[in-house]
Amino acid sequence: MSLSDPLAAVSGASGARSSRHESFLAYGGFRYLKLAAATAVLSLVIYLVDRPYGGRYGGSWAGYVLGTAGALLILWLTWFGYRKRTYAEDHGRLAARLSAHVYLGLSLIVIATLHTGFHFGWNVHTLAYALMCVVIASGTFGVWCYARYPRLMTENRSNQTMQQMLSRIASLNDELRGRAMPLDDATAGLIGRAVEATGIGGSVWRQISGRYPGCTTAAAIAGMDASSAAAGPEHEEDRRQIRVLLDEKANLLGRIRRDISLKAMMEVWLYFHVPFSFALLAALLAHVVSVFFLW
Amino acid sequence: MEVEVTLLTRRGAAVMRRSQRISADRVLFGRGTNNDVPLPDIRVELTAAMLSMREHTLVIETQSISPLRVNGRSVPLSLVVPGDEILIGPYRILIAEPPEGCDAALSVELTQAAGDTLVALSGARIGLAGVAIGRRSMSWSAFLIIAAVCLAGPIVVYAVGLVPSWRQAPSRPGIPGLVTLSWNAGQLSNPHRAFAIDCKACHQAAFSAVPDIACLACHGGVGAHAEAHADLGPMHETLAGLRCTNCHEEHRGLEGLVLRESALCLDCHRDLAGTAPGSGVHDVTGFPRGHPQFRATLVADAAKDAFVRRELGTDPPPRDRPGMHFSHAVHLVAGGYPTLGYKQLGCADCHVPDSSRQGFLPVTYDGQCKSCHALKFDRTDLPWPNATVPHGDDSGIVAAVWNYYAGKALQGAASAPTPVPSVERQGAGTPPPAAPSGPPNAETWVREHTEAALRGVVLEPKRGCGYCHFGTGPNGAFEIDKFLPSPMAPTATARVQIVTPVIMETRFLPNARFDHAKHATTACADCHAAQNSQSSGDVLIPGEANCVRCHGAENAALKAQSACITCHVFHRPDFGPMRATAAAAH
Repeated sequence: MSLSDPLAAVSGASGARSSRHESFLAYGGFRYLKLAAATAVLSLVIYLVDRPYGGRYGGSWAGYVLGTAGALLILWLTWFGYRKRTYAEDHGRLAARLSAHVYLGLSLIVIATLHTGFHFGWNVHTLAYALMCVVIASGTFGVWCYARYPRLMTENRSNQTMQQMLSRIASLNDELRGRAMPLDDATAGLIGRAVEATGIGGSVWRQISGRYPGCTTAAAIAGMDASSAAAGPEHEEDRRQIRVLLDEKANLLGRIRRDISLKAMMEVWLYFHVPFSFALLAALLAHVVSVFFLW
Repeated sequence: MEVEVTLLTRRGAAVMRRSQRISADRVLFGRGTNNDVPLPDIRVELTAAMLSMREHTLVIETQSISPLRVNGRSVPLSLVVPGDEILIGPYRILIAEPPEGCDAALSVELTQAAGDTLVALSGARIGLAGVAIGRRSMSWSAFLIIAAVCLAGPIVVYAVGLVPSWRQAPSRPGIPGLVTLSWNAGQLSNPHRAFAIDCKACHQAAFSAVPDIACLACHGGVGAHAEAHADLGPMHETLAGLRCTNCHEEHRGLEGLVLRESALCLDCHRDLAGTAPGSGVHDVTGFPRGHPQFRATLVADAAKDAFVRRELGTDPPPRDRPGMHFSHAVHLVAGGYPTLGYKQLGCADCHVPDSSRQGFLPVTYDGQCKSCHALKFDRTDLPWPNATVPHGDDSGIVAAVWNYYAGKALQGAASAPTPVPSVERQGAGTPPPAAPSGPPNAETWVREHTEAALRGVVLEPKRGCGYCHFGTGPNGAFEIDKFLPSPMAPTATARVQIVTPVIMETRFLPNARFDHAKHATTACADCHAAQNSQSSGDVLIPGEANCVRCHGAENAALKAQSACITCHVFHRPDFGPMRATAAAAH
């Protein structure tokens, strides 16, 4: 925000939050980024200061400090998943919580890696670490999606809402239906299928990839192109109109599918982030219990 | 043919009918506008079907490539009577009773409207909710599976004892073993991997540290760090209070069990002169800087079995008193003694490595000296080659010499011809000459020769025993008269000692462990200045300055890294077992 921010004059006096959008990444002047960086530096200092006999590892006093801090941090980060659902009562603190969640979650990489002392093996301890890394990676992907995709979606939609685009497709379908009435059976059948079965949405893979190999509209276009040479002149105008309509529909479908794809990408990372978080909780519990069980 | 066609349109419960009459030979149904009964839906072919009368029977037949569905059956052609139902695309055609004046009647109804496309589109599955596996069920599954396998599993295996003790178990892990291995916190040391699957071998109770008895079950005889009677003050309790795991931590890697860091030792040895002054151990603050000069254990008095520790590298240098003369220089003369038939000697000719090749076997007369230093006191011309005295048996010396001359006497050496006594005038006042002695007495001959050999050869200060040994008399003289006051008789049983005891040490630095095998590539003379040593009092053990030519601190970059345990041992087997256990008793 520049010093000559016009909105600041409006809202600053009343103390309310500026209405201009502030990314959760930049919340509070990157307050939580600084906090996370300081935490990471402090962890590094703790790690370096302790030089136990036999080399650094998770069981030295520094290892216990870092491990306790990391475990508490994991529990606090998981708690965010609950707190975010009560945002209505929080009077706008959700952005702050999210900012803290993201940056402190990233600092966990440093804390946990130093806690391991760079010892890894085929056991529940490294499993917990690996699950944590997947959670952080999926979260990082989520952050990237949220930072990038809304703008892409806006550009893709060209100032239309999804409902508007679907309405346009519906009217295109109706018009196609009417125009294809006098045409031969084969072409009418192609147009009929293109109208009946419009490929939108579907399975996870379809939504994310946006690829519809059996798209009826594309098949109709291809079919009409293939048969245009053999078609007689009597319905040429109709065929031309239908071709234009099909092109517009195909273009619109492309945008709709891209919109759905971006939206799905903005959802799919959570399908990794949340289940792996709970797997991490189980592994973390096993890790902590085992350390004290086999003291 | 007169056909009445009724178009039905339903709106909720209401039905609207619109009838018309068609006069034609045949009635065409289809999408195209040229059909008698237009069916304006894209799902219908241009010309779908034809109804005609054949011999007073209604027949309907398809006009396109698709068959018709008549009463649920797909047929290309069918007779139809009132009540039959024909489906063409989304249209249902019911044949009805023809009214007066008509040959046929039918109703046409659109049963499947094209539908609201927008509704259909809006109902598409958009968004992942309901399409992908739910996050909640995935989370629960993941949590429960991991908790079962990695938390509950090992606890059950441990509590129930599903992994048999390693002493009886086969070496293959099995499922309980694999589940339990998920808790392995780090690489096990190499020798312990044989029972890695059996946690209870060491972790004998849950939530408590590995007890000493777990280690002592196999390592019961491990040596103590200090002798039980040593004057250490409170350090005895400190040592007794140590647990094995204070210094030996498992799961730290293949070599992690023995900690190398010198700081562990220096924690106590930095200030031992203060905490345990009676131990006689100097303080150490590091190596090489901070390590006291080596103190060699030397013989103070061989006769009294007395030892003393002296710092090496002092000026004047320390002296050893092993109790004998020996000059390395004389023995290492270049070229040897060719006139005597002795080749040049090297270190290895006398110093033989022991079986471990760490140190050397003691130098003995029979092993190393006898081949050159035969103890002969006379020419050997008897049938048996014994003009030698035994080594190390002082009384036997006399017996050997006496026996030799006795043997010679029996062979006739004693009976030399005696001179015939002549008549001699004697002046007045001179005593008459003694009566000539008879033939010489054999015993006297033997005794005289024995004494001559003892005095002149065997026990002569510069020959015989005196060549290497000291006598028990003042200034190292040999007290021959211990042997000779009474007539010599082989039956004399008194055990006399006229040669002072000798103590030849093999370890001059007993509190360290120097491994000659590891230094085999270094020449002996690089560390031991034997070439120029002319006295056995010289201490040829080098001091610290010699070692630090190659050895540096434990994290040295340009010297061999050396920690305390490179040269010193915590558990000293010579001090007895550290803990009194059943295993230690073996």
